[in-house]
Amino acid sequence: MSSFDYYAKRPHDHEHDHEHDDHAPQTEAEGPPSEFEIMSRAMQELLEAKGVVTAQEIRRRIELFEEDFPYRGGRVIAHAWTDPDYKRRLLADGRAACAEFGIELEAERLIAVENTPEVHNVIVCTLCSCYPRALLGMPPTWYKSRNYRSRVVFEPRAVLREFGTVLPDNVTVRVHDSNADMRYVVIPMRPQGTEGWSEERLAGLLTRDTLVGVTLPQATEKK
Amino acid sequence: MPAGGTATRSSYAPAPGHRFAIGDKVRVKRSFPPGHRRTPYYIRGKQGVIERICGAFPNPEELAYGFDGEPAKVLYRVRFAQKHVWPGYDGPDHDIIEMEIYEHWLEPDDTGVSHGDAR
Amino acid sequence: MSEMGDTPVNKGPHDIGGEAAGPVDTTDHGMKFWEKQANALRSVLSRSGVVKVDELRRAAEGLGDEYRKLAYFEVTTSALRVLLLEKGLITESELQSRMAEIRRRFDVPDEMESPLKQKGKR
Repeated sequence: MSSFDYYAKRPHDHEHDHEHDDHAPQTEAEGPPSEFEIMSRAMQELLEAKGVVTAQEIRRRIELFEEDFPYRGGRVIAHAWTDPDYKRRLLADGRAACAEFGIELEAERLIAVENTPEVHNVIVCTLCSCYPRALLGMPPTWYKSRNYRSRVVFEPRAVLREFGTVLPDNVTVRVHDSNADMRYVVIPMRPQGTEGWSEERLAGLLTRDTLVGVTLPQATEKK
Repeated sequence: MPAGGTATRSSYAPAPGHRFAIGDKVRVKRSFPPGHRRTPYYIRGKQGVIERICGAFPNPEELAYGFDGEPAKVLYRVRFAQKHVWPGYDGPDHDIIEMEIYEHWLEPDDTGVSHGDAR
Repeated sequence: MSEMGDTPVNKGPHDIGGEAAGPVDTTDHGMKFWEKQANALRSVLSRSGVVKVDELRRAAEGLGDEYRKLAYFEVTTSALRVLLLEKGLITESELQSRMAEIRRRFDVPDEMESPLKQKGKR
């Protein structure tokens, strides 16, 4: 069973909840703001008042993280699936290959790693939660969790089983701890039964879970 | 890898004067200093092989305190056999773990212990 | 995994690779709006060079025991507070005043007055 991907069904059927006043009270049924929410808002307001940041910059970042970044990774990997020369370039230099594809990663020094019948890759940042955000958007909550960060480095196969992914012993599990300046994305193996699919359709199979390596893309699309 | 591309387009940066080459056997320093480090505790003292050279970057251990991190330090990706990292690792001998280690955390390792082959 | 009986020397609360832990909650729980805003704030400040990524990490690591008790964006917010104070971009009294004003705006009881005010997180 694959985990629910918050962004999986997006395209453009989503409406902005909060397009107007950034200082408006929280309207979702989440209760009154916590001390940390209040602290975060206070810091933002003070910095806006001092001209260190602008409300517009903040809004723009929210938009990018919501509407743009999450959809880039699937497109890049789907393109690599359909174009073997592009895949080679992506493996050789992730950032340059994304730029070539029209995607300017911001600070991310991207390394793409490829799943093969012999090797399965899985990504973690044990020290914090480094993740190629400008390629994939925000990481899922499990990626940032203590249990994932601490366990996947020493018992990756057991953690993968918790995601429903079972790998035979003859496949090498290759864990990447994203602990310094580089960021990682997995190129999964292209599933059987996707011959002739458009890149857009292929991109729909590439959830964050598959690009971190905890699940394998399935050719049966869930909607 | 490190020579290619402009600084902004490439994932990699030049690494002039880098001490280690791909395939070199190295050991992570067995040292536990205080302060901000990007070398995880669990890998200290472990033996591995240089998998790639990422480039020279400002030292995060200095950046963390507001300094400019210069001179830049060379960053490598190092491959380790899981069985050499975790006593009692519950998985096949060929499972590996890789991460980025700064040059000043690495020493040459000549002890002849197998590090697992590069795949 | 960690050696039995020895207290690790200088091991930060964040340096958890290899520690025994429970099952992974494999569901993604998304982000609340304030968390998206907090993330955006961090991102804007980082991109403009006001705070460095490694400074944020160091400030988070410096939270000690709090690090283990707080949720992800609570850590981010606490770390950012440390840095903004450290860099003199805000003062503690400015922060407290603004927080009090926001509480009034949202009609949240002042932390001194409300006995419920241990919104003690996990």
